[in-house]
Amino acid sequence: MSFIKTLAIIAIVSLTTPVWAGDKTAGEEKAVSCTACHGAGGGAPISPQYPILAGQHENYLSQALMQYQSGERKNMIMAGLVAALSAEDVADLAAYFASQSSALRTLD
Amino acid sequence: MTGLLRVCAMVCGLLFFSISYAEGDIEAGRIKAETCLGCHGIDGYNNVYPTYKVPKLAGQNMEYLVIALNAYKSGERSHPTMRSQAATLSAQDIDDIAAFLASGGEQ
Repeated sequence: MSFIKTLAIIAIVSLTTPVWAGDKTAGEEKAVSCTACHGAGGGAPISPQYPILAGQHENYLSQALMQYQSGERKNMIMAGLVAALSAEDVADLAAYFASQSSALRTLD
Repeated sequence: MTGLLRVCAMVCGLLFFSISYAEGDIEAGRIKAETCLGCHGIDGYNNVYPTYKVPKLAGQNMEYLVIALNAYKSGERSHPTMRSQAATLSAQDIDDIAAFLASGGEQ
């Protein structure tokens, strides 16, 4: 009985926590091609057509990367860049950019 | 020489277009962006199915916001709520809202 209870707890915990907890230090190393366009720390894009990533919500960033991977979100440049990213890479990159500071904030 | 002048005229034309395209009225945008606050004005507000926090928009680049709103409007970027929000926006509305958000979005 306690074995079943333990299994149930493990199942619940694994369903309610993200698959990968992002590592921002690893993300920084993986972010070189991102910062080429989105600027240092993702906070100073080279074109105003590109979004500021620094300080954005972590799980919004990972959602966006996954949508570029699936083709649900379409952008020729991003499609090529995200193609080879693993789920761990996505989580690390999202953790890194979310940890950077910028002027980005929630509307008042 | 006329070739060079023609190129100059084309470059000037393009510059003119891109500048006028990027004009938005912050004050008009402030009023038009009130609906945005329902989700983007609540710190940590979650999108559901799938669950993720709705993005922070204040201080974002204006031209990116214009591109994003147009992509929602056309359906190229799929999100049911954002599509219905963007569907009735004119090009001017989008420019105004984007200008307001990029300016910091303070009500």
